Formats: sequence, C-alpha cells, structure tokens
Amino acid sequence: MTVALDVTEHCKPPRSVFLPFMMGHHFGVPFHRELQLRIILAALDHLIKTERSGEIHLFPMTWAQVRQEGKVLEAEL
Amino acid sequence: MTAPSDEIKQLRPELWETINERYPGSMITKTDFVPLARLSKLLSQTRLTFVSSAGIQPRGSMPFDVVHPVGDFSFRRVPSALSVSDLEIHQIKYPTTGALRDLNVIFPIERLQELAAEGLIGELTPNFFSFIGYQMDPEHFEQTLAEDIADAVVSDGAEAALLCPA
Repeated sequence: MTVALDVTEHCKPPRSVFLPFMMGHHFGVPFHRELQLRIILAALDHLIKTERSGEIHLFPMTWAQVRQEGKVLEAEL
Repeated sequence: MTAPSDEIKQLRPELWETINERYPGSMITKTDFVPLARLSKLLSQTRLTFVSSAGIQPRGSMPFDVVHPVGDFSFRRVPSALSVSDLEIHQIKYPTTGALRDLNVIFPIERLQELAAEGLIGELTPNFFSFIGYQMDPEHFEQTLAEDIADAVVSDGAEAALLCPA
C-alpha cells in the first residue's frame, strides 16, 4: 500500500497498490467505511491476481474525488 | 488498472539522487524485484497480518523516539483484537489530520476485523506490527528492525501480509 510511487519503484516490492492520496491517508478520509473497505479489497485482490513480481495496481480514484466523497459523507453525519 | 513497474513513468526522477547527495545512503534503491510468493490457499482460509510504519501503538506502551536523529529501530505489537480507542499515534513525520479523527485512514484495524468476522479473510494474526518511518540508516534498518519484524510476523503464523509505509 503506497502513496509514494517513486519510493515504491526504487524498493521493488513484488506487488503493490498505488493510492494517489495525501501522505498518511492510504485508506482515504475519516469515517468513509465503504472506501476503506474498497481499498483493502483492492489490495487483497491484487495479492491473489498478480502474475509477475513488480506489478503495481493503480487505484482508480484521485485524492480530489476522495476528499469530495468525504465532504458529502460528513455533511450527512 | 495494473501495470508493471518498468512501464510507469517516474514522477520525480531527480529527487532520489538529490536526497542521496544531501543524506548519503538514506534512500533505498534495489536492483531486483523481490521474488513473487503466491498465496497457497484461499483468502477465506488465510491468516493475514498488517504491518505499518505509522507509529501506532497500544496506549501506555513505550512511545517511539520520534526525535532521534537516526531513527528508532524498535517495533510494537498491536493486538489485532483491540479497538481504535485503545491505540495512539507516536509519529510526527506524516500528516495525521485524518488519522486523529479516524485511525482507520492509516491503520484500518476495524475494517480488517470486519472482513475477518465476515469470513472473507480466514483470520487475523494475534498481533499487527508497527514502527516509525523516517529511518536514516536503511542498511541498519534492514539488518535489525526489518529482520525482527519478519521474525515476529512468522512467529504469529502469518500467511499473507499487508504492508503500509506511512
């Protein structure tokens, strides 16, 4: 689970999930349970499906999208 | 989307060299990928652990030394059955604005407990493992702390691990 793609590329782990989020927020934003689960499930899916060492799964959301979802969620709380 | 690492363009190709010029040896560069170890059983039968450099620790345990100029090469066991209110953060090198409101944004202990309870994951190891990043002697880090954590993970019977560098 990484928010620093260049660091991960230098360390060369066998499999990784890149989350283009703010440092310290690998699993998204506070109280967004569904997103936190989705990110863990993406990692577990990648754990199973990786074909060769070095594959990086690019999580398909931007930090801006995640923050927006967080704002909407918190407004509803 | 999934891509081999060598097909992804470096975002900041010069940064690595710059940091290494200022702090020699502080940044790790590996020449070979770690060999791929495939999961040998179904996820629903697998014992999973979580390893984090977020400086999470049980309340009341010895705080990490977050101001040591070289680093703190110790780790903490975090019982996987604890609740978020039993935990605290001792690290100042990453933004904790989200984690201080909901620890799951960096240490998703509640989500992992839920997935294990649902049976999607076979079970969790008795402990998760936590240390602090910003270690300025990566060679010493690899030879001591990384080995110590690896031994502890094996001792807990982990069959798969999620690693989360904060």
